[in-house]
Amino acid sequence: MSLRRQITTLVRFELRDELRGGEVALVVIPFAVIALLTIPMAIGIDTPLLERIGPGIYWSIVMLFGVLVTQRHSSLAPAAARDMLRLSGVDPAARFVATTLATFLLLLGFEVGAGLATVILYDPSLSSWWWLAALLPLTAAGLAMIGTIGGNLVAGLEGRTSLAPLIVVPIAVPLLLGAAQATEGLRVGAGILRWVLLLAVVDTVLALAGVLTARPLEESAT
Amino acid sequence: MRARPLDLAAIGTLATAFIAGLVVPPDAVQGDLQRIMYVHVPSAWLAYLSFTVTLVGSVVYLRVRSLRWDRLAGASAEVGVVFTGLALATGMIWGKPIWGVWWTWDARLVLTAVMFFVYLGYLALRRSFDDPEIRAHRSSVLGVVAALQIPIVHFSVTWWRGLHQPPTILRPDNPQIDTPLLFALLMAVAAFTVVFAALVSRRVELTAAEDAARRPDDTDATAGSAISAPIVGGATS
Repeated sequence: MSLRRQITTLVRFELRDELRGGEVALVVIPFAVIALLTIPMAIGIDTPLLERIGPGIYWSIVMLFGVLVTQRHSSLAPAAARDMLRLSGVDPAARFVATTLATFLLLLGFEVGAGLATVILYDPSLSSWWWLAALLPLTAAGLAMIGTIGGNLVAGLEGRTSLAPLIVVPIAVPLLLGAAQATEGLRVGAGILRWVLLLAVVDTVLALAGVLTARPLEESAT
Repeated sequence: MRARPLDLAAIGTLATAFIAGLVVPPDAVQGDLQRIMYVHVPSAWLAYLSFTVTLVGSVVYLRVRSLRWDRLAGASAEVGVVFTGLALATGMIWGKPIWGVWWTWDARLVLTAVMFFVYLGYLALRRSFDDPEIRAHRSSVLGVVAALQIPIVHFSVTWWRGLHQPPTILRPDNPQIDTPLLFALLMAVAAFTVVFAALVSRRVELTAAEDAARRPDDTDATAGSAISAPIVGGATS
């Protein structure tokens, strides 16, 4: 089976699993909306302030709740399933790309859902909205790759549910900075190209690291 | 445990740097408070150095699959986390009288704290495995990915305008620091570097001993060793 075929089969499998379980749509997105609702209660009902900080809160929510998307049940295949894929000769790099792609698509959906909630609740004013067409996929891709690598690092461990966020969230901070600074640039009408470039560079480094380290991670499967 | 030349060198250079830091004149603006820089700056330097060594150890392990490189990466990260914590703590102690706050939302500060937590996660991951080979495989991957933070922390003072001062010594034009103060600072950097080498070397040895202790003893655990020959017909053993 070609590499491309392996990837498309695995992506379809992961997305079908999500479609059946609805973990992102029915659990993570509503949970994120609850967070978006409760933050103004904690910092006070100051509409101009909320309008100003809304995009920053949105990106924080994307990063923190995005970890839940990357560590969802379907992406953490049980040991037996991993063994079966390994014995079937599925390329470890194909597995990395497939899980990343599936997570990327789900994260993109999550970003759009949480973004709509942010627009409704915080009413942020951004110039050049079209830049979001680049920012959302770049951030989702980076977070998906970090999440996939992090998920593979903690696979099979008893404390993986607490260890995975500790590994994933700090490493994802450059993505948060790039996305939040770019959105702030859009808010005040400043140039954001260097932040978009930062996101692109981080994504490229992560893609290389993910593909090149897929085999060692596969070899260390417990 | 016997003291080795590297340990003695660490103690000697540290004592010399300590004396140098005390005898140089105080800073014209900050007074004696500036002397904390002789701990803060070398600690921050060691943070970069140690995490770079972790990156190198991880990459080389993934290439040659020798556990000694993984031990080097882990030892360096462990020492690096201690010195990153020291850099953060001394920065806060210095910041309170100078900036008026223990903590400020400066890019360098925040990203250094994030780097601290990245490597805490790295150490937590290492501790999750009993098998040295599995530990080495997984932590090497994280050692490579985590290094993404290092350039971002370094360039943060240039990318964001914050309170933290831009580079004083490592700048393209002349260093903006008086010669005696620069001398004391460089002495401290050298001393901390030797201390780092001594600590990492000891930690590598300790990890090797831990790995050896975890390894099952082949002489005890042979198949069937629990079975003894039956005693028949009133024979004595």
